[in-house]
Amino acid sequence: MLSYVAQRLTLAVCLLLAVSALTFSGMNLLGDPLVNILGPIAADTKNPNSIALIEAAEAEYHLDKSLPERYVRWLGDLVRGDLGVQFSSTGEPPVSNIIKERAPRTAVLLVMAQSLAVLISIPWALLAASRARRPADRISTVTSFLLIALPNFALAVILKYLLAIKLGWFPITYTANDPFLSRIYQTFLPALTIALPAAAVYQRLLRTDLITTLQEDFILMARAKGVSKWKVLLRHALRPSFFSFITVFGINTGALIGGSLVVETIFRIPGLGTTIVEAIIRDDFPVVLAVVMIATSVFVLVNVLVDILYSFLDPRVKR
Amino acid sequence: MTAARRGLGFGFWLSISWLIVISLAAIFAPWLPLKDPGENYIVAGARPPYGPSSTHWLGTDQDARDVFARTIFGARTSLVIGFGAISFGIILGGTLGVLSGYFRGWTDRIASIVMLILLSFPGLILAILITALLDRGLATIAITLGILGVAPVGRLARASTLVFAERDFVTAARAIGSSNRRIIVRELLPNVVIPMAALSLLGMAIAIVAEGGLAFLGLSVDEGVTWGKLILLGAGTRDLERAPWISFGPISMLFLTVLALNYAGDRLRDYFDVKDITL
Repeated sequence: MLSYVAQRLTLAVCLLLAVSALTFSGMNLLGDPLVNILGPIAADTKNPNSIALIEAAEAEYHLDKSLPERYVRWLGDLVRGDLGVQFSSTGEPPVSNIIKERAPRTAVLLVMAQSLAVLISIPWALLAASRARRPADRISTVTSFLLIALPNFALAVILKYLLAIKLGWFPITYTANDPFLSRIYQTFLPALTIALPAAAVYQRLLRTDLITTLQEDFILMARAKGVSKWKVLLRHALRPSFFSFITVFGINTGALIGGSLVVETIFRIPGLGTTIVEAIIRDDFPVVLAVVMIATSVFVLVNVLVDILYSFLDPRVKR
Repeated sequence: MTAARRGLGFGFWLSISWLIVISLAAIFAPWLPLKDPGENYIVAGARPPYGPSSTHWLGTDQDARDVFARTIFGARTSLVIGFGAISFGIILGGTLGVLSGYFRGWTDRIASIVMLILLSFPGLILAILITALLDRGLATIAITLGILGVAPVGRLARASTLVFAERDFVTAARAIGSSNRRIIVRELLPNVVIPMAALSLLGMAIAIVAEGGLAFLGLSVDEGVTWGKLILLGAGTRDLERAPWISFGPISMLFLTVLALNYAGDRLRDYFDVKDITL
């Protein structure tokens, strides 16, 4: 067991190293950080004044070092929790500060979205599986199919129109200075936008697995002993049906991270999504790098956790 | 699957018909009797946006431009992006997958590592990264979204190649002295292409949706209209309040197209009993 966990974690670390090296060299080779720090002065290499400025900036941001050296330096800082300085001539706060301020909002949104998705999908799947191939199940299949075909930004626009503008049940915008609870309330609609299609995906899988499980002998046995239908579903059928659900929960986190970036910009939540978009427009690559690393790390780690959890639930995986 | 024996079904052909209609409309848009997508149809005495009417089927936007015509013209870019992306993904991912499934060994190991790395980026993050670093031309966006397809297509191609490479007809081809190249092109490709066709429909839907996501982040193609950009145009709170049709016109067109692609892809997958598609 322990060696399996160690093996999965090593792979995850290697993947993250590869991802960071790729992203870091891509950003450094294709972008020109000097232009972002100094503006047009960076191109003016004839004027001795600007040469002095360029050299000062190069020394300050370590741009005069070789690429591998800068990567190792950045990685060392990253491990100690320092995400580097923002590239700007006006003395913006270091990247870690921005991330510390904005990442929790995205995290709340994502956790809320995944919880909602799970809370919606389990009863939905139980209901559909218990009435398999009957009208209720058919309606639920069509509904989930339609939901999956609806892109998150379109769903965001529709929900915003229906629930926020027409019905007025939810606030339209997010206010960063509001108390925690009202910000949770403001996050509900964006979270629901992300959760609904995810719930449809989970429901489809769980329903299929539940239907397969319900045909097993031990279910027939339990029913024959007089256990009620719902008790069989909840106590006997649910747990062995969770395997593909858990795997897809991990894989789907990647799609949800992408979705949350888009939904954030629609509902104006100043989280990581808006941060990376602003940073891209300014070519501020330490910020872009930080957001990419956070998103990728979360994704990779969730999948490692899912793998480990899976091996607990199904000991056969442990090779 | 019992349903697979009954043929592809009515829904499949309905989906395909919709896809053909929308593709033809997109291709021939400049010659169709549509309103000019760039023209401002301002009516004297009334301020745009105008609601849906017999002259403007889906209404007009804030600048009095015809939403229906713009949606059809938007289909041109969106469909080209979707088609270009999945072609790129299929060609690169398919080649990678077939080669690694056929030759195994080091080819397989290196290809697997490349795919693992590609798969550890959350999809949209990778797309954001590439569009941020390169320009935002049509080809760049299409290729970027195509790169997202390389790993899933590659995995499927590798899995099916592994299965077929063990079959007797491949052994027979090798026994009569066929070259590797001939075995791959003549024996393996025709078999691997079928499951990939199902995946390509689903992948095209994903690419079209991903373009919309990029548009909302302000990172879609810099010129021309796409469905994503059209929806974004009407997504502001004030515009949604007074003129929801600006967004809802393109949304319905996008939704129907994605629905048709998903449904047709799913049916094909069931029909050919493809199991290894994970997206």
